[in-house]
Amino acid sequence: MFKNYILIALRNLMRNKTYSLINIGGLALGMAVFVFANVLAQYERNHDIFFEKSDRIYTLGSVFSPTANIGVKGTDGIYTTMAPLLKADLPDIEAIARTVQREYLLTMGDRNFYQGIKFVDKSLLKIFDFDYLAGNNTALDDPSGIILTESLAKKFFPGQNAIGQVLSLDHKNDLRVTAVIRDIPKNSHFISSLIINEPLEAIAPLKALNKIADYDLAGNWNNLSMGNSTYVLLPAHLDRQWLEQQANDVFERHASESIKKFTTHLVSRKIEGMNLVLWEVTGMPVLESMVVLGFLVLIIAGLNYTNLATAQALGRAKEVGLRKTMGANMGQLLTQFLVESVATAFLAMLVALAILEILIPIFNDSLGKILTLDYLTLLPSLFGLTLLVGLIAGSYPAYIITRVRPVDALKESLSRGSKGSMVRSIMIGAQFVFSVFMMAMVAVVFFQNEKVKESSEIFPKSQIVTLERLGVEDLLARNETLKQEISAISGIEWVTFSSQVPFDQSNSAFAASKNSGDFAGKIIINQIIVEYDFLKTYNIPLLSGRDFSRDIANDLQKEDSEVLNVIVNELALKKLGLPTYKDAINKVFHEVAENPKEGRILKSFVIVGVMADQNFLGLHNSVKPLIFQVNPKYYQTASIRIMGLNFTQTMAKIEAVWKKVNPDYPIQVQFLDALFEDVFKIYKSMNIALAGFAVMALTLAFIGLFGLAAFMAAGRTKEIGIRKVMGAETYQIVTLLIWQFSRPVLWALVVALPMSYFASDAYLNFFAERIKLPIILIAGSGLIAVMLSWVIVSAHAYRVSSRKPIHALRYE
Amino acid sequence: MLKLNNLCKVYQTEEVETTALDNINIDIEKGEFVAIMGPSGCGKSTLLNIIGMLDSPTSGEYHFLGDEIAHANEKQLANIRKKNIGFIFQSFNLIEELTVFENVELALLYNDVPSKERKERVTRVLDKVGIAHRAKHMPSQLSGGQQQRVAVARALVAEPAMILADEPTGNLDRAQGEEVMDMLKKLNEEGSTIIMVTHSPSHADYARRTINLFDGQVVTEMYRAAE
Ligand SMILES: Nc1ncnc2c1ncn2[C@@H]1O[C@H](COP(=O)(O)OP(=O)(O)OP(=O)(O)O)[C@@H](O)[C@H]1O
Ligand SMILES: [Mg+2]
Repeated sequence: MFKNYILIALRNLMRNKTYSLINIGGLALGMAVFVFANVLAQYERNHDIFFEKSDRIYTLGSVFSPTANIGVKGTDGIYTTMAPLLKADLPDIEAIARTVQREYLLTMGDRNFYQGIKFVDKSLLKIFDFDYLAGNNTALDDPSGIILTESLAKKFFPGQNAIGQVLSLDHKNDLRVTAVIRDIPKNSHFISSLIINEPLEAIAPLKALNKIADYDLAGNWNNLSMGNSTYVLLPAHLDRQWLEQQANDVFERHASESIKKFTTHLVSRKIEGMNLVLWEVTGMPVLESMVVLGFLVLIIAGLNYTNLATAQALGRAKEVGLRKTMGANMGQLLTQFLVESVATAFLAMLVALAILEILIPIFNDSLGKILTLDYLTLLPSLFGLTLLVGLIAGSYPAYIITRVRPVDALKESLSRGSKGSMVRSIMIGAQFVFSVFMMAMVAVVFFQNEKVKESSEIFPKSQIVTLERLGVEDLLARNETLKQEISAISGIEWVTFSSQVPFDQSNSAFAASKNSGDFAGKIIINQIIVEYDFLKTYNIPLLSGRDFSRDIANDLQKEDSEVLNVIVNELALKKLGLPTYKDAINKVFHEVAENPKEGRILKSFVIVGVMADQNFLGLHNSVKPLIFQVNPKYYQTASIRIMGLNFTQTMAKIEAVWKKVNPDYPIQVQFLDALFEDVFKIYKSMNIALAGFAVMALTLAFIGLFGLAAFMAAGRTKEIGIRKVMGAETYQIVTLLIWQFSRPVLWALVVALPMSYFASDAYLNFFAERIKLPIILIAGSGLIAVMLSWVIVSAHAYRVSSRKPIHALRYE
Repeated sequence: MLKLNNLCKVYQTEEVETTALDNINIDIEKGEFVAIMGPSGCGKSTLLNIIGMLDSPTSGEYHFLGDEIAHANEKQLANIRKKNIGFIFQSFNLIEELTVFENVELALLYNDVPSKERKERVTRVLDKVGIAHRAKHMPSQLSGGQQQRVAVARALVAEPAMILADEPTGNLDRAQGEEVMDMLKKLNEEGSTIIMVTHSPSHADYARRTINLFDGQVVTEMYRAAE
């Protein structure tokens, strides 16, 4: 019997190939998104479980007081002094280990690399069972030992045994390789946490850091930095709540009141979710949103199916009416319809899995993940999901159709679906709202990003090459030589130094006021340390005054300078309450502080030049009050403006100069263009994600539209035939259908357009320089959606109405 | 008025080929009242549909008002159709969503008759078929006989030279059938050419000329003397 149902269902699917394809395709898309969102969430929530003791490993984090006002709810670490205190007070803890991420210049022989190293309490090796290729978990007992991952060992010592090799840190301190571990799997927070931007490749004892950088092993109450986690291993009989409770007790006992004012309490987390902690502390429910969005897409796809299936089922009203008059019972009919929709859902699931099998490897490659579809564990839920989708999406059409009284069905008037049409209009309208909204948002985001890119062009970024990491004493001392030698290369126009370059996302700011000592009237000014030729290198125009000059002593900041000449931007003048640029030259303003420490010099600044407001940080940042000042102690980056045509050759010459002047440090070349692209990447990936989502939404909406248009045209075939017999021309019929079909679409616009407007306004508010035309973009999206729906409807109407009228009249 | 020469219609389906009309030669003059009779499936409807340009013949010639139109395209046919031909079907074929008035008005709407004139003419013709009091009703609220009167009204309203009726009385009882036949007769007397398919010999008697079809061929033609 059941086999019979399935056979009939498959035959029906085969008979209406187009509609079956639309149905299956739409559902498959929805299912693929839903399954992907859930599998990804599951993957992200189950990191680090390959460590043997992962179910007993916890971390401790801090929760900030809301009055601390630092933009995040907390951080993933605790004060460095807490670990020794916890160890002393809680003997039940099996092991506790702090970690500190630092970056050093590593030298082996004549080769240099900048490398991030995790400095840890050696008990870390008791907590995590790394996979040792050489050495073992006593590797950090040696205070100058270091553990390398396999690939780092290969990079540093190609073709050699790494064990026993010596690495020199910043040319000062030596570490000896005591173990090599297999690369840590990608589904570990050590690799894929959003906080750590460098994967874990080298581990050294904190004792080494103590020796190298005077790291305070006893810890202190000053320092909380993200990514520097403290790990705790508990015995099997103790759990997370216990740890949290005990840790808070210890914190209560030892922390001072002022600390408690800032950090209210501690939380413990299981190791599995540590890769997600950034989202937690910034209060962004990324995974949750993703799962919800996936669910919404599934619902939309389901609605789509319900919509189409209802329309199709109503087309079969006559058949059902006949069957009923012939004595078919309700249950059989209902079963037949449900079996059909479940069969569709199963086919859709197969397609969805095929889509995922293709997309997941691409996703993994581009984001460095190792997501897989584990069918063995997924099978029950996939099966359940399919069944559920099939039953729920199919139940409305089944209900509608079996409710039909035989007499109504035979009267055939139902095929036009007067009852269901309201519900369907609402569904199609809702889908339309969604599509127009997505399309408008994509357009706004895209053009805003273009704007960001365009406004970055004020700096000659394609001509500028930067040399980074100059902020080391050795290098600073040789800067003058470096500048002279590089300037001498042909094709080099300008060489200059600064603390940061455009698009560097760092803010160095201080408080200043028009009147000396007026802390209450302070404003915050961003400062950038530059060198004499900075304005020329970056094409920054002066509105009034002069550029810095080597001949004027006060242009250069010295250890004890009390008065300093600076160049400011217009916004700084305005904020300080100083006259506009024409009259601002030689005006003075002052550094202020709330409780200046004894001996601290609060400088006074003399304005020697005013520059136009420029968005130095670029991207979404607003233009800030800004001053330039000259202070060779704080140079971080050299900027070289290259004019010559022979770029590669010039670069080779620059590298040769570097090797000669700074043989003991590797050159760190960065193109300003690349730096911009690097920061801009965030926007780009947002674009891509949004575009993907929009394409999906649109596809689903148009699948729905396509199907509905087809059914509507089909349902009215006979009417079209009659009208034709009465002398209607094809274009008149097409117009008629378009108008009727447009009604839900136009209603959708009434909702979608204002919605898109408010959303894009909120988005654009994030940027300092905004595009002016969101309304045109939004209206354009609406127009495109309407046009597309018209094309689909007219194509159908045309097809029906251009055939011989007799076909239409005979149509049942 | 129209002339069919060696007209054939073959239906091609996946398995079989049906010859619905086989070498039909018919001449119909203006003002004639012709009945087409024959057993079920002999090709009556097919013939009427081709005469009414709802379908095209497979081969042969069709001269309508002197023009050869067997191979005209759909647009040209539609144009000739709406100017010259009115249709009455066995199953009425009214549009469910439109009122009686609107259904009748349809034929004028597509003939670009101005709104005011449309109103007058529809009212007049509804009066003529005796259904004026039901003008605002929906078709589903009418009996079969009333619906067929609406269909007749619709066929008349554009004042076509020729009216084609496919079993116009097939769904009606005796009395209703007689009424419709009387209307057709009156129309014929007013000058319309009428071609009607029927199974009823008594209704065929209203016509001057009866064409008997069998298996797609004209077997006999019979003329009745004017009364
Ligand atoms: N669209 C079609 N496809 C295939 N064969 C068809 C088609 N329409 C009609 N036929 C065949 O053509 C032949 C003539 O059909 P037609 O409808 O003209 O018969 P009829 O004389 O009007 O019959 P009735 O009195 O039952 O209405 C029949 O054998 C029918 O099966
Ligand atoms: Mg027939």
